[in-house]
Amino acid sequence: MNGQYASLLIALPLISAFFVPLIKGFGKKAIKYYLVLITAIQTGIAGWVFSEVYSTGKPIIVIAGGWRPPVGINLYLGHFAALFVFIVALVSFFMAVFSVKAIDVEPIDKYAMLFLLLMLGATGMIATGDLFNLFVFMEITAISAYALTAYNKTGEAAEASLKYIVLGGIGSSFFLVGVALLYGSLGTLNLAHIAQLAGGVNATVAQVSLALIIFGLAVEAELFPLNAWAPDAYQAAPHPITAMFSAFVVKAGLYAMARILYVLSAASGWANIARLLVIMGTLTVIVGELSALRQRDVKRMIAYSSIAQVGLIAVALALGTADGVSAGVFHMVNHAIVKALLFLAVGYVGITLGGTAVENFEGLGKRMPLTAFSITVGAVAVMGIPLFNVFWSKMRIILAAMGAGYAWVVALVLAASVVEAVYYIRLIHTMWFTGEGEKLNENLVFGVIMLLLVVAIIVIGIYPEPLWDIVQKAGNDIVNVAGYIKNVPLMGVGA
Amino acid sequence: MISVYYFGAIALILIGLYAVLVKKNVLKMLIGLSIMETGVNLLLVSVGYISGRSAPILSEGIGPNGAVDPIPQALVLTAIVIGVATTAMALSVAILIHEKYGTLNVEEIRRLRG
Repeated sequence: MNGQYASLLIALPLISAFFVPLIKGFGKKAIKYYLVLITAIQTGIAGWVFSEVYSTGKPIIVIAGGWRPPVGINLYLGHFAALFVFIVALVSFFMAVFSVKAIDVEPIDKYAMLFLLLMLGATGMIATGDLFNLFVFMEITAISAYALTAYNKTGEAAEASLKYIVLGGIGSSFFLVGVALLYGSLGTLNLAHIAQLAGGVNATVAQVSLALIIFGLAVEAELFPLNAWAPDAYQAAPHPITAMFSAFVVKAGLYAMARILYVLSAASGWANIARLLVIMGTLTVIVGELSALRQRDVKRMIAYSSIAQVGLIAVALALGTADGVSAGVFHMVNHAIVKALLFLAVGYVGITLGGTAVENFEGLGKRMPLTAFSITVGAVAVMGIPLFNVFWSKMRIILAAMGAGYAWVVALVLAASVVEAVYYIRLIHTMWFTGEGEKLNENLVFGVIMLLLVVAIIVIGIYPEPLWDIVQKAGNDIVNVAGYIKNVPLMGVGA
Repeated sequence: MISVYYFGAIALILIGLYAVLVKKNVLKMLIGLSIMETGVNLLLVSVGYISGRSAPILSEGIGPNGAVDPIPQALVLTAIVIGVATTAMALSVAILIHEKYGTLNVEEIRRLRG
């Protein structure tokens, strides 16, 4: 099959979003099943792209409109993008299934449209090979995320959404200033072309524009000074959307950050920016874990835990070594699985028992054993206990950080992991050893999804090597800038 | 000597940023956000300006060498639309906040804690 068909990854959610108002005529149920169908097809396409890229070992380059880059826009589906586009589609599919039960209050047609646009935006951010196109996809993601955060129409949801909009607005303005500076000095927007010219860019321009771009993306990626919106949005948004935020919207921001960082790695003064990102990531880990410790709402607690993990990924991606980036990508995959499981299970408790306050979790082991079991596996995995997947990725990150000479980062991150263990063990204790209750009927479909994710966690935990091989290729895709430039068929203009 | 276009654009961005950070009223913050976006758009357009050239529409008397850089204009066109969408979204959230809280003062909008 022709590689250009991979553009369906962008086209399918967009076209399907336009068809939602038509489907609305068939009733509320129809829209929900339509959403499940579209995300299933998207997963199929993404699976095809994944197997194609990994079997041939060559990236798929989609050239928009037949104009070769840097004149036209190209999509670059390398090892990394293929892996994450697949994860985005798969998580969206699970959450579309979850939405059938979890969303029954408000206008479902708007929900379905925004859901598809969120998936589209994240896919586009990961796949694009053009700086301004990245901005556009980032804004598609962000605006659908603002709207979905406010979807429940409570005061809290509106408050969370407003915080997100204000921070996101500042962030995107800064990003655009960074893009303007880079364009002004290089005269190109294509990432491969930028990478080619990066060596000659003025040191001040490179540092300022890179700092502004990272500042802008840090809002989406929830790094420390700019993540105040995240716990509120996670708490107030509908449950499936929370899982999507944590599992891939953040990852798209992190990936874009890493890609732009390494594209400009030839520029002078680059190491300063990378070090800044390591510091921001470490602070994110510490602040996230300490804030999670004193939460009374389980969803908010897991939101803070998610922020802390993101900080760890940012540290790994900014180390500047191939080991670090592969470890970071490994952690991104593991974290997407674990947090999708945790938010799914916690959200399921929320819709069944009415709320995610910690009181609702008392005696959950007796009332909803399967859900409680899934939360337990997820919690144990996040702590990084051996034989679970996160252990291997945390281990790799710590080894990579030691290798890059950041011993103080390792010490702080490990200290934060102890804090993490405290609040997760407290949650597990609350679920299994306190409270009384009668057994409730658990939904079979959610049970199957949760068990699938649990099996994924344990299988990766016992056999990490196959996935490690995959993520090493994906990490190499980011670090190996020369290879990236070579893969994009640049037309010889300007230069 | 810094061009007056760059100076003005950066000044607008900073004025907008100041309004977002300092003002207590949600609507004034959103006005600040809009001013900031305008400043960014002006900066983008002025990046592409080449002194003495005309609009990049190829017509009689204006060849490819007589036009300014057309790319920033395409970027700004996109960015303006995105800015308007964000503002519309933010205003509808502001209406919702006023309905639920009865105030637009950010210091009183504090139900989410922790």
